[in-house]
Amino acid sequence: MPDRPEREVRRGRKGRKKVCSFCVDRAEFIDYKDVAKLRRFISERGKILPRRVTGTCAYHQRALTVAIKRARHLALLPYTSD
Amino acid sequence: MAEGKNLYETVIVTSAKLGEEGSAALVERFKALIAEHGTVQSVDDWGKRRFAYPINKQTEGYYTLINFESGPEFTAELDRRYQIADGIVRTLIVKRDPRHIVERKPQKAQKPEESGDIDVEAIAVEAVEAAGEAQKAE
Repeated sequence: MPDRPEREVRRGRKGRKKVCSFCVDRAEFIDYKDVAKLRRFISERGKILPRRVTGTCAYHQRALTVAIKRARHLALLPYTSD
Repeated sequence: MAEGKNLYETVIVTSAKLGEEGSAALVERFKALIAEHGTVQSVDDWGKRRFAYPINKQTEGYYTLINFESGPEFTAELDRRYQIADGIVRTLIVKRDPRHIVERKPQKAQKPEESGDIDVEAIAVEAVEAAGEAQKAE
């Protein structure tokens, strides 16, 4: 009978519900030209941050991914950096 | 739509080696080409920008955005011309959704005033619930 107290602790932890920032802004499309905004959704190494980190909803994460990839193509955002 | 016209936007990145005039002349040629096959709606010159990563050992280039309307067959031709032309580093052709155009016009300084009353309420409710749960947890 393995007891897992850590699990219980995790389940009971208080966490704030993350809200998709694009839904809040009522954004219908995500502009690949808006580099300042897109930067918030990539890591320091230039990777696209996962939804679980940014709280973006699935619909907007998909649109965001396309926007970031377009911006990368135009060298507005890095593919990688350190 | 009925007459088979679509809205597109294209970004041309030209080599910084061309200089300001050379780059402008190149963009002008493409503007003329687009005007031949459709209508140029607006041109936005972003000027010289640093690349996020070096392209062909270069670190900067001139960016120009052109909004235009044309038939769908023209984009392939435009892309072909982009490939042939010298001095072009990167290009992008994207179809624009007419439903988004109104929102698109003020590019950077856009401020959606109707930030959603329902959303704010929903967030408030969630916050209250979360707070209650947190108290229970404690």
